[in-house]
Amino acid sequence: MRLPGAVVADKSPRANALSVVPDKRDVDDLTQEFIAESQDGLDRMERCLTELETRPQDSQLLVAEIFRAVHTIKGTTGFLGFNRLEKLAHAGEHLLGSLREGRLAVTEELISGLLRLLDGLRAILILIEETGGEGTRASDEDSELIAELAELNGEAPKTPLSEKSTPVVSIKAKEEIAQPAPTEATSTVNSTQGSGSASGDKTLRIDVEVLNRMMNLVGELVLTRNQMLQSGVEATNFPELARRLDSVTADLRETVMQARMQPVGNLFGKFPRMVRDLARTCGRDVRIEFSGQETGLDKSLLEAIKDPLTHAVRNAVDHGIESPADRVLAGKPAEGCLRLRAFHQSGSVVIEVADDGAGIALERVLAKAIERGLVTPEQAKEMTEREALQLIFLPGFSTAAAVTTVSGRGVGMDVVRANVEKVGGSVELESKVGLGTTLRLRVPLTLAIVPALVVRSGGQSFALPQTALVELVYIPARDAAQVVERVGASEVYRLRERLLPMIWLDRLLGLKSKAESHGFYMAVLEAEGCRYGLVVDDLLAPEEIVVKPLSAVLREIGLFSGATVLGNGTLALILDIAATAARAGVKPVMDEQEEQAVEVRQDEASFLVFEDRARERTALPLGVVERIESVPFSRIEYANGRALLQYRGELLQLRDDGRVLDEFETLQDEEASATILICGDPQTTSSRMGIVVRKVLDVSDGTLLEKEAANGEMDLALVKERLTTIFRGFGATAGKRWREVA
Amino acid sequence: MKIVGQDAEQMHEEAESASLCSMFAGEESFGIDTAKIREVLGRRELERVPMAPAFVAGVVPYRGDVLTTVSFRALLGLPENTEAGCVLVLDDDGGHERFGLVVDAVGGVVTVQRKMLEANPCTLDAKCKWLFDGAYKMESGLMVQLDPQKLRPSRLAETGMFRQGGTGESL
Repeated sequence: MRLPGAVVADKSPRANALSVVPDKRDVDDLTQEFIAESQDGLDRMERCLTELETRPQDSQLLVAEIFRAVHTIKGTTGFLGFNRLEKLAHAGEHLLGSLREGRLAVTEELISGLLRLLDGLRAILILIEETGGEGTRASDEDSELIAELAELNGEAPKTPLSEKSTPVVSIKAKEEIAQPAPTEATSTVNSTQGSGSASGDKTLRIDVEVLNRMMNLVGELVLTRNQMLQSGVEATNFPELARRLDSVTADLRETVMQARMQPVGNLFGKFPRMVRDLARTCGRDVRIEFSGQETGLDKSLLEAIKDPLTHAVRNAVDHGIESPADRVLAGKPAEGCLRLRAFHQSGSVVIEVADDGAGIALERVLAKAIERGLVTPEQAKEMTEREALQLIFLPGFSTAAAVTTVSGRGVGMDVVRANVEKVGGSVELESKVGLGTTLRLRVPLTLAIVPALVVRSGGQSFALPQTALVELVYIPARDAAQVVERVGASEVYRLRERLLPMIWLDRLLGLKSKAESHGFYMAVLEAEGCRYGLVVDDLLAPEEIVVKPLSAVLREIGLFSGATVLGNGTLALILDIAATAARAGVKPVMDEQEEQAVEVRQDEASFLVFEDRARERTALPLGVVERIESVPFSRIEYANGRALLQYRGELLQLRDDGRVLDEFETLQDEEASATILICGDPQTTSSRMGIVVRKVLDVSDGTLLEKEAANGEMDLALVKERLTTIFRGFGATAGKRWREVA
Repeated sequence: MKIVGQDAEQMHEEAESASLCSMFAGEESFGIDTAKIREVLGRRELERVPMAPAFVAGVVPYRGDVLTTVSFRALLGLPENTEAGCVLVLDDDGGHERFGLVVDAVGGVVTVQRKMLEANPCTLDAKCKWLFDGAYKMESGLMVQLDPQKLRPSRLAETGMFRQGGTGESL
């Protein structure tokens, strides 16, 4: 073994040692660390470069930062023996040095050159990561780039390579590069992103603080266990120990979750460069803005939404934002703005991609949908704005007039929606013609623990993910025959005047259905555009469940996405909402009439109608009535001529416009009781009051009359075609709020 | 069962003998090599899985995982038992597929002589030929040897022989 090695070494001592040694040891820890560090540095450099273009006033700081990144790489490579990388980094450092000293001005060309340097460095790093060596063709691959960097530095004729080609040619070559370069760059970016995620999947950076906290909690968990084992179940302090166990577990879970959380900014970091390259390819002028980068998201989810989000950003630049000329014509600034926003909203993370472009032209969407045969012209005519927008999510839909290199590769919004829904999220689209489009990706915080509703059917427990649950309907046994209607063989339920297909879970799964009982529950579920009512026997508690995978044989059934151990120790299968719909034959519907219904109801507020003065109807917005109490007359007290009621530790003023109390006074009936509405502004709970009424008549919808029709302090409304006074006795703000509601 | 003091004769004997865990399903007794049994869980209530192949008895929580169990009665075509069966946890050789086996009762560990093993009779039907791995002639009667490899749920699903069992609803 030794002898041939020595002979080879004699022949070419240095070169061989360099190319062989890294191969032999493969990629050692030191190199691994160097690669990770350099990649971080390059990411930082990328961010700074794009910032440099938008904020030239901070150039000094940014250039220093970029310089540092490249300098670190150069220093470390020399030490590790990666010659090619060192040479390239050196050329870059040289150029950056000039820039730092202020001998060069920041131009677009310069930044493009530096970005190419970045790509070059990245490519070599990836090569090192994959093969352990940096490739042997060191000189011929980078010399062009090095020459270009040197030229940008204003020393073109010096290097021997640019001597070969005359300055004219080199400029021409650069012009040539300027055109195809961005596409080339995007492809390299893609490849770096791909391999970057491959190595990024395996490791995770965690704050040592978080890790320490985790360790402390594990220590506490062990202590609690020891105490429990020693004291036994009968011990008096057992409930206390159980409570402590509970809190330690909750804390530990929280900390582990926190460790898995990654700031969304990590994902956003890729976009400035991508948007810049894209904007140049498509001839757009785009500025990118971020907010909420620090919003945390589970690492696995971050990976899952990377592609949909990238797609959305591409779409926004390519289809959303118009060309500068068009924008000026439309009276907008030439530079388009792309806003990426991340924030928490009710247990999920919302990531918003908003552009101030042309918006989505509905007629074009409809025309395209008809052309593609997705809808008939008749259907299209009847579609609302929302419905038409939903068409974009159908497979095989793209409004791009021409297929560009950027978009229109057959993967459309349907893939975006499918990918986001796969991780339990949803996608919303909002668009205003001429003003822009906003795409909202809503994803749960974490995948491993899901809030779910546990239901029982056919004597078994099943978990329904809360994300798919819209509402619950209870159907008493006596009503069942009337509310369940049939269309052919299928059963439907009339939910707010819309027919909802019903699926009996026990029948679908071939379970023995229970004997007749008090009634059944229907869970209205929605997944992948399908909406249906799932009939179950009973509802158990909502629980946060830990998802456990099923074995291959059971996955094959296709109806269950996993199983979970419930609080009582039994197992429950987690129902795959979309698959269940597909199995039962529910087809996606694309309308959102639900929301319209809500809007309509906002125009007509609900009122509680009552009588206070004889034969006069007065109404209160339902929202302010907290309770209706029947209070014995003797409990009403007087102070300084005003009627008061002690109600739940609070002294309520009673308003008696109809003089009901006086009537009671004259009747002298101790047994009588007055009906009192306990009212309060939902926002400011302090200003509660009681209203004495003769009797409560009805709860119904009404329309407020125009202000002119009303006079003075009173507002009139038509409730069930009868004139009704709207009671206004609260503070001015409350009154104003009512009117807004009404 | 084994006694510690081992001499050459016993070593020889060990190669000749095997230790099996005996179990019962219906009228017959069966044995599985103890080395392949990970744990005997005892009687457990199983959570049934609707629409699953007939040989799947259900799922049971086991060390933070959800274990799929195979009903041996269903494999033999016997009607379902009303009381809960005994669950054994079996490991695949590779360890990548862990599963449970549900039998009526678990006996104990018995040491058998390898030479007492006899191959399956040629008149056995196809299903049983697949399941059984010969029988030991014991003093108390015959004990059929089982091969856990062949009882793996994914393997059973592949053969397609047990898709429609005597008891389960068909797809």
